[in-house]
Amino acid sequence: MSEETKAPETKAPEATKAPEAEAAPEPVDPRIEQATERLEFLRGKVVAKFGEDVLEAAELKQFQPTITIKNQHWVEVVEFFKTEATLGFVYPELMAGTDYKDYIEVYVLLHSFTLDYDVSLKTRTPRENASIPSITPLFAGFNWEEREIFDLLGVNFPGHPDMRRIMLEDHWVGHPLRKDYVVEN
Amino acid sequence: MGEIRTEEMLMNIGPQHPSTHGVLRVVVKVDGEIIKEADPVVGYLHRGTEKLAEDLQYTQIIPYTDRMDYLSSMVNNHAIVNAVERAMDLEVPERAEYLRIIVVELNRVMSHLVFLGTYLLDLGAMTPFLYAFADREQVVDFFNRLCGARLTYNYMRVGGVKWDTPDGWLDDVKKFVPYMRSQMGMFHELVTGNEIFLERVKGIGKFDAETALNYAMSGINLRSTGFNWDLRKNKPYSIYDRFDFNVIVGENGDCFDRYMCHMNEIMESLKIVEQALEQIPEGPVMGKVPKILRVPAGEYYSAIEGTRGELGVYIVSEGKDKPYRLKFRRPSFINLQLLPQQLKGQSMANLIAILGAVDIVLGEVDA
Repeated sequence: MSEETKAPETKAPEATKAPEAEAAPEPVDPRIEQATERLEFLRGKVVAKFGEDVLEAAELKQFQPTITIKNQHWVEVVEFFKTEATLGFVYPELMAGTDYKDYIEVYVLLHSFTLDYDVSLKTRTPRENASIPSITPLFAGFNWEEREIFDLLGVNFPGHPDMRRIMLEDHWVGHPLRKDYVVEN
Repeated sequence: MGEIRTEEMLMNIGPQHPSTHGVLRVVVKVDGEIIKEADPVVGYLHRGTEKLAEDLQYTQIIPYTDRMDYLSSMVNNHAIVNAVERAMDLEVPERAEYLRIIVVELNRVMSHLVFLGTYLLDLGAMTPFLYAFADREQVVDFFNRLCGARLTYNYMRVGGVKWDTPDGWLDDVKKFVPYMRSQMGMFHELVTGNEIFLERVKGIGKFDAETALNYAMSGINLRSTGFNWDLRKNKPYSIYDRFDFNVIVGENGDCFDRYMCHMNEIMESLKIVEQALEQIPEGPVMGKVPKILRVPAGEYYSAIEGTRGELGVYIVSEGKDKPYRLKFRRPSFINLQLLPQQLKGQSMANLIAILGAVDIVLGEVDA
């Protein structure tokens, strides 16, 4: 190849360095500024309606406003995001569960056509008797996603219309996406 | 005369049934010819891609994505490399971006041709299948020349693409575009005006935009209801903002609209390929990326417009060379959820027409 896109570097392997370390410019990234603004707006809306108590955290993940909600307030806050006219997060894009060893987290990404951006909402549950109230009655599109999380992570969703395993057989033992699941060879 | 005794019957469609396009099983309760209840059973093809990915480096995950939606592997490749690049804030050389767009849009054409052929085959028309596959074969050959594989390409890398084009490849693609366009005219003549076909698909499997949104649908299934939502326009990624193309939307959200959306999207994809062929610059196809890819600790989600809808990748990273958690938002899986509602009250024969128009790939449903 004739040329490189960036200045050629020395041959020393720089695998251990974080990729952003090379450029740390002074001015704040406009994407972060915009995201912070959105986060403050959404956080303010939730606090005005429910108070600080329902929140566990409100932070930015890269450029994504992310709000963590306490387990017992999960449904009402998600419903607020969907039905409140000034928010209008009516389009469910993604639901994912992650096992963080101390707790299991469920992540939901909603899109608003009114505001034209996404919000990430999260909630947590202990690993023992893991349970999160179902939001399938609000968003039918999360039906199978919740079943998948039940199947692969062992989180129960009270209020779900049809809580069965979806990927694995009914007699399967264990939940493969849990970090302590032993894969048999 | 005494009353005729009737009772509901439980029936299994699949898992081994040609019109389920893989291994989908639908358990239906029928009253005579009419479906009372339907329950899709999935998971026969579950390989645990997300679990496997937790033990793989990012580059090693790429071939696994080939096997998800195996009709549009290039698109899947693009989803994962795009997600990692965005998370790491990497630059991709211009030529590589253009090559990606060309192969992704060709792949869209190819996948929609498979839809066209198999959908009509499901409905009992054998001939269009042969024509569609003959044209699809040309695209398969292009990909074969480019990366040595007919279906599982493993072509893209984080920071670029693996191979530059072989001699004459771009010229051949350039010749293919007008050819394919004229073929579309032939397909419309062959199929679209056909009275029997129209009777079979018009007004069948209808749903409205609100239902589609609530069911998290995306892609053609959502657009067929008249809702304009295409990630290439609405959440621009890669270099799609440089091309002039239209988002195809339907009107009624029935099977016919979904068929028309597929047909018209082929034309739009050809338009993009044509423009990309004109603009493609010379240069390297692989950017400067670290030898071992480490995504900075954090959470990332980015999605692209896949052939079947929003194809997203959610990465949780601890800053290591392997993801802590990798989740694919798989459009086929999500689009299939509405099926029980769509089938209720329909006749058995319509089951095939409705299921076919959802356009699922089981490799992606089950992942």
